[in-house]
Amino acid sequence: MRVVLVVAHPDPDSFSHAIAAAALAALSGAGHEVTVLDLYEEEFRPAMSLDERLAYHGDRPILDPTVERHARIVDDAEAFVFVYPTWWSTMPAILKGWLERVLVPGVGFVFDEHQRVRPGLTHVRRIVGISTYGAPRWYVHAMHDNGRRTLMRALRLNTGFSTRRAWLGLYGMDNCTAEDRAEFLARVEQRMRSL
Amino acid sequence: MKAYVVYCHPDPDSFTAALRDRAVSALENAGHSVRVADLYADGFDPAMSRQERLEHKAPPAPPPDIARYCTDLQWCDALVFVYPTWWSGQPAMLTGWLDRVLRRGVAWELPDGASRIEARLTNVRRLVTITSHGSSKLINLLEGETGRKVVGRAVRVLCNRFARTTWIAMYNVDRSTDADREAFLDRVDRKMHALWPAPTNRAAARKW
Repeated sequence: MRVVLVVAHPDPDSFSHAIAAAALAALSGAGHEVTVLDLYEEEFRPAMSLDERLAYHGDRPILDPTVERHARIVDDAEAFVFVYPTWWSTMPAILKGWLERVLVPGVGFVFDEHQRVRPGLTHVRRIVGISTYGAPRWYVHAMHDNGRRTLMRALRLNTGFSTRRAWLGLYGMDNCTAEDRAEFLARVEQRMRSL
Repeated sequence: MKAYVVYCHPDPDSFTAALRDRAVSALENAGHSVRVADLYADGFDPAMSRQERLEHKAPPAPPPDIARYCTDLQWCDALVFVYPTWWSGQPAMLTGWLDRVLRRGVAWELPDGASRIEARLTNVRRLVTITSHGSSKLINLLEGETGRKVVGRAVRVLCNRFARTTWIAMYNVDRSTDADREAFLDRVDRKMHALWPAPTNRAAARKW
């Protein structure tokens, strides 16, 4: 499968990057073709600009070469893997901005004649989210885990209901041990091999 | 009452800008003092930097580009967010504002030995969201209403424990008429007037 691996963490030495590296190795080892989009390394601009907003209701309103490159990669994708730390119950701004600026009409979805949104990512067959949480699992649930819902529900409405989803979370990261982390990396690798 | 309006939309001629104007004028007419943050006009940088991330558990004083937001957050009684809902939640610009401005020492504290953060925005007693959705209420329910939960839960736990949340939302904006939008602006006006208890002074109450 052609896999797009999207990573959103400002620190290249972070555990999120360790997860991304483990996922990349496991996916490549299983024979998948992986493209990594490290949003911080690419200095991706999160905020949609005024010009982009004004062009939004047109056909494929992309004005930025970086966004165009990412959109081409998305056009060919068969699976999405997202790796990010959860902040304030949701994804970092840079990843939210990636959804807003890359998955525009003509890429992520299309507007029908009644201005209703219709899926545009029907070629995507898998969505995997991998996130780290400072808080324990019960607290994450109490806060509604909004980043997970954005990817597992809002994004999936645009890929179609036959797309399979998987979620891997490392909870209580503020108090976890080196063994917990190693075990989590092993889980990530195993899950990626069986994608 | 002191109200802090955090507004986020790239287009100064947008419907969201009209919502902000109506909310601000309603609050001012009701005798409240209002401060407004316009994140796009300020050129706010929503991406938390590596440095900020590494320092987030023991941050220095807020850097100049966010110091004013921190001061105003600690000043207000009511925090009002005005934004368009994109991908079921806040635009990245506002998400990043939350990531960067809700800092330790400003919005929360972690006392020695504690396992959970403590709220520091106990001055905030009203938490209001004014937003528009292109799609229907049904679609937003299927998507999980993430923007609503980010404010109503993740931000709410940092505020006063008796803080009341108010959700003022318009759906189906992509297919709305001028009359629909006008009616929603009037609703914003009414809700903003009713935000704080009526004055105890009878003459003022009658006028209201």
